[in-house]
Amino acid sequence: MSNKIVKNLSSLRFTIVLISLLGLMFAIGLWVPQIKLVKGLYLVWQKNSPNLVAFLDLFGLTTIYTSPITVTLWAFFFLNLSLVIWQRIPLVRHRISLSEKLITAPERGAGYPFNRTFLLPKGMGGEQVIQQLRKRRFTVLGDGTSFYAVKNRLSPVAFLIFHLSFFLILLGGLISVYTEFIGYLDLAQGETFNGEPGRYNAVPIPKIPPIGSLPTASFTVKSIVPRVVHNTPTGISVMLLDAAGQSHEVDINVPYKTDHASFVFKHLGVAPLFELKDASGSTLAESYLKLDVLKGRPDRFSLGGFNFTATFYPDYVLDNGKRATRSMEFNNPIFFISVERDGKKLGEGLVPKNGSLLFAGYRLEMRDMPFWVRFYVVKQRGLSILYLGFALATVGVIWRLLFYKREILGAVRETDGAPSLLIAGRSEYYKKLAEDEFLELFEKITGKPVER
Amino acid sequence: MAFWEVIFYWVTLVIYSLAAGGFIYSFVFKNPRVLPKITALVGAGFVAHTAIILARFYATGHLPWSGHYEYVLMGGWFIIAGTLFVAWQNKSLVGLAVGTVPLVIIMMGYGYMQNPGLTPMAASLKTVWLYIHVYFAWISFSAYALAMAAGVLFLLKSKSDQLPVPNPAYEKYPSLDRLDELIFRYVVFGFITDTIMICAGAIWAKDLWGSYWAWDPVETWSLISWLIYGITIHLRVTFKWREKRLAWLAVAAMSTVIICFFGVNLVVDTSLHIFQVR
Repeated sequence: MSNKIVKNLSSLRFTIVLISLLGLMFAIGLWVPQIKLVKGLYLVWQKNSPNLVAFLDLFGLTTIYTSPITVTLWAFFFLNLSLVIWQRIPLVRHRISLSEKLITAPERGAGYPFNRTFLLPKGMGGEQVIQQLRKRRFTVLGDGTSFYAVKNRLSPVAFLIFHLSFFLILLGGLISVYTEFIGYLDLAQGETFNGEPGRYNAVPIPKIPPIGSLPTASFTVKSIVPRVVHNTPTGISVMLLDAAGQSHEVDINVPYKTDHASFVFKHLGVAPLFELKDASGSTLAESYLKLDVLKGRPDRFSLGGFNFTATFYPDYVLDNGKRATRSMEFNNPIFFISVERDGKKLGEGLVPKNGSLLFAGYRLEMRDMPFWVRFYVVKQRGLSILYLGFALATVGVIWRLLFYKREILGAVRETDGAPSLLIAGRSEYYKKLAEDEFLELFEKITGKPVER
Repeated sequence: MAFWEVIFYWVTLVIYSLAAGGFIYSFVFKNPRVLPKITALVGAGFVAHTAIILARFYATGHLPWSGHYEYVLMGGWFIIAGTLFVAWQNKSLVGLAVGTVPLVIIMMGYGYMQNPGLTPMAASLKTVWLYIHVYFAWISFSAYALAMAAGVLFLLKSKSDQLPVPNPAYEKYPSLDRLDELIFRYVVFGFITDTIMICAGAIWAKDLWGSYWAWDPVETWSLISWLIYGITIHLRVTFKWREKRLAWLAVAAMSTVIICFFGVNLVVDTSLHIFQVR
């Protein structure tokens, strides 16, 4: 009974069933809104079809990639893979072994579908043929009268490498999940960060690792310069100065890396310095404010007891009497600000850099307009194992599928007084295409065209 | 679109359409003699196709890598390049164009209706990983397209062979045995480049988005597609799936690649693989 279970669990049929089911689960994940990926959509859907969503929630189909069903499938997949690899090891060892027993007469070579006789030119014997085969990276056993030649003998090892790489990817993935810290960090130009946990944004809540620690980093944001060309963001240069006095430039695709952590640029905002003055010109309040206004949405802030709503136009223009932006380029950056207190609107107007808004005897001045950035901070261990897995998967798949094994049995015989070469050949994966390859090979070796 | 780009776009489409018509003529009227001329026509179309890319490169300063229009432009180029390359290597494979040329025409027609505007290179695309990831993506797409085309040819030829008088138009093409092995060979080549594409994409994603795998819809589809071709290889090697079953599988599996490249972003707008950042 247990043998039967092991046999089924280790069968390739089971592998294919598991891969198909995993593929199906991934496909379902594309149709069923996933809480962690598209939360907004999920909530709307839940509101409209509460019973259906409750049913899907029950089976974990709204968190499908980590649902018990998917995890079980993965567990079976790796169990199956382990058993398949374990069973294949003796087979691989057998297939890469070299012994004199492999030298058989081509006429009796069972399992060698390609059979052909080539006339050898004058002066060419079996030894020269072997020499030519060795030149073409064949390993040859035997002598000029009878030989066995094999190319890419170790190719079956690549099967093990490719499939073992999955375990490295799994290991690297698991280590990275369990040591993962994720947090968002908003920093304006001039601000310093010393790794304080409280500086990470509360929403979304930072993901604290079950194992491991928070990133230790210390730096000051020296400058933030966004680049927009023809309305397309083409880059952002965020200069950081670390505690050791070393400069680091962060850009899109170029995170700041330290202590197994990456500070990835995620979002850009404007951090204007507003100063509120009374009628006598005395400063009542002043502050740099991180406003999230770059996608055309207004943002709010409070200063000196007043509530302000700010809309930002990076390239301000009056279009048919309406406020608009010509592009995303920062050619004419202007805020439109409205101010209210206790629900009563007190004034509104345009405020460019070094400009001001007058309302109810007060004056709001914008003295500076730097930027702020949001970093996606992620710390993970195990990435090197994961990348090693990727590298081995790539090497394994190339080696196994491109450098596959070809075997040749050869013997030199006398036919009508002339020496001729008898060949039996076989190749992994291919039969007809291997025939073409063998014909071409021996045409080149013997220098005589062959009838096809 | 740049001025010369528009001109060459239409020239290319017209030439490819004429070539596709030529292939249909060759099959319907059982005339294999016109095949070298049609292949030359595809070659001329390829030159015009290259000119579109150059004109666009001249106008934007970068190769077309982003947005659906640019996807089809480069993708189509790689498919036709692959088709011509195999035809050049082996004259009997000119017929693969019967599957690939119509596919490229449809792709280009679709691309034209998308976003052909000239844009500078978005910041997210400025990395060496783009070239590795996208280059291997297009090679795998091209290889899978050739596998599909070999599958189509296999199915057509096997149907013709069952007739009392087989269509002579198929005589110039490889035997069914060879076509069967070619399907597998192209699938294998596609699978290798697909693997490199996914690995390179994951490494790029770590620097761009902070996560090597985020279950993004395009990412997920590419994994599904990779798994399906992985199954195809296992079915062929271990379960000896051959001939018609393998041909149908190669044709059907191509749909997952098309969905991955073009379909996902039509259905969902949450993919991170929308690089025309505005």
